[in-house]
Amino acid sequence: MTRVLEATGIVRRFGGLTAVNNVDIHVDAGEMVGLIGPNGSGKTTLFDCLSRVQTIDEGTIVLNQTDISRMKPHQVAHIGLSRTFQVLRVYRDLTVVENMELSVQWGDISLLSSFRRPDKETTKRANHLIDFLLLSRLRNERASSLSGGQRRLLELGMALMSEPNIVLLDEAMSGVNPSLVEQIKERITILNQEQGVSFLLVEHDIRFVKDLCERVVVLNYGEKLAEGAPDAIMENDAVIEAYFGDDGGGGEHDADF
Amino acid sequence: MKSTTKRVLQGVGLGLGCLLLVGLLVLPLFERGNDSTLFTLTLLLASIGTAISWNLTGGFTGYVDFGHAVWFGIGAYTTGVLMSNESDWIPQQWPLVPALIVSAIFTALVANLVGRLTMRLSGPYFSIAMLGFFVFFREVVRVMGGLTNRGVGLTIEPVINRPLWYYVTLIFVLVLVYLSWWLRRTRFGASLIAIREDEIGAEMRGIDTTRNKVMIFTLSGAITGLLGAMWAYQNTFLDPDIAFVEVRTIDAVMGTMLGGLGTVAGPIIGMAFLFVLRELLWTQESLLQTHLIVQGLLLGAVVIYLPKGLMGLVRGEVKLLDRFRKRTSTFEGMEAAVLDDEVLDEAAGELETEVSR
Repeated sequence: MTRVLEATGIVRRFGGLTAVNNVDIHVDAGEMVGLIGPNGSGKTTLFDCLSRVQTIDEGTIVLNQTDISRMKPHQVAHIGLSRTFQVLRVYRDLTVVENMELSVQWGDISLLSSFRRPDKETTKRANHLIDFLLLSRLRNERASSLSGGQRRLLELGMALMSEPNIVLLDEAMSGVNPSLVEQIKERITILNQEQGVSFLLVEHDIRFVKDLCERVVVLNYGEKLAEGAPDAIMENDAVIEAYFGDDGGGGEHDADF
Repeated sequence: MKSTTKRVLQGVGLGLGCLLLVGLLVLPLFERGNDSTLFTLTLLLASIGTAISWNLTGGFTGYVDFGHAVWFGIGAYTTGVLMSNESDWIPQQWPLVPALIVSAIFTALVANLVGRLTMRLSGPYFSIAMLGFFVFFREVVRVMGGLTNRGVGLTIEPVINRPLWYYVTLIFVLVLVYLSWWLRRTRFGASLIAIREDEIGAEMRGIDTTRNKVMIFTLSGAITGLLGAMWAYQNTFLDPDIAFVEVRTIDAVMGTMLGGLGTVAGPIIGMAFLFVLRELLWTQESLLQTHLIVQGLLLGAVVIYLPKGLMGLVRGEVKLLDRFRKRTSTFEGMEAAVLDDEVLDEAAGELETEVSR
């Protein structure tokens, strides 16, 4: 199976604190991988390293057979990685369709052609994705007037506009009401199964991870604690201890993950 | 309703704009269009041009440049050095057109270098760094020795044809308006808006933010440099204190904010409004000492009460009508109002008032 993303020995330090310590993680083509861990375990920092928003102190990151360890974030986006953020990043003053049009694959646009107006194909694609994400009714509304859940959907759409082969979703479900969660889950599944888009997702809701992912990576204190199938991970003693402490916790774990 | 109102407003704006343009074009043919009037109007046009170029970085890209007048000064001094015979380094007098071209190119080069250093800063750090560069270049010019005549000043031989110069400036400003309008509609222009709205997001979505920021900063510097060069030629004399003036930056900021930050028409409307207001205040004897206080208050009031400027006010009226429409539609069905949190908040407030009664 083709490896889309492979990070080896990633280390990221902030002064005396090592936020990510020697972590290996990989995602294969068409795979959905979950990244979980208690608060402060380094999930978002690892995401930032993988998407090059943050520099890494040690390690290598290979994306689609290209070493991106020293690249700038926009170059990483050109090679096919796209992401969403824990804190929503949409262009608030622009309409839904304008937000989408601005998120094209900029790697395909030369400097000269950037001095032309956006082509009809882009608008058509933006509208198609808006329909796919069930946002048609809000097409011409400003992003600032959308609810949190609708903005999550819009951000997902923006991440997809550049036709990436891997998408990093950082808590895509936080602040989203349950009916929208199902909707987002369904859309992600379609994208994965029909278009072969790989996903790496950070999520607090373990049920969501269980439903979508074939493999889960657990981080704790910046280090990889465990890796495996979701069911095995939930029975893993080290993981249970990391989440619930020495006394085990017992009972229903799902809701507390 | 919304589109009709918008179209009417656009039509009125366009009509007034055309009328004003015709007026400006035929003015030199009439007696009122004497040298003094044309001199003042040429200065106004240069101010509008400076505001338009400031708006490219400050408005479109969201990088508020507090030292923008530095490019005006550098452009002016380049032309001064080239066209005056008082510079020891270049004593021969250059013809006008090559001097203007070299001034624009030289300013662009300096802006590019400064942009590479300052455009990586954000928010107030960028603004203050630019203020620093403004002072730095002004003082460099003052102590440059033979090149700039030691800050004493440079004189350019007056061979100016006032009406012709007025037309040249008018055409240049019209080109700038078109450039700004066209740029806003291109992908490059859209990328600037993305940088303004969320720079990290824009970078993450594949926009080479550093390159685009430096490019627009360089263009903005070149335009203002050329305007400075044209001003130097018209003024026939320059020294560091009149070529590098903070008020030019303040005017560009104030005019653009008054008209509408980040809009194409904003700098034009704002600068014209400011100019008329200033003329009115000047002529009032009672306000002779205090007209600057009034201007200062005006800028404060605009930032507080009209953050989107006069253009925002025009758009706000459209919005008010929309809101009215949404409120009436709540009786027919809530759908239209559902998206507008403010409308819902207001409705909740009204309900509370009713209940407390």
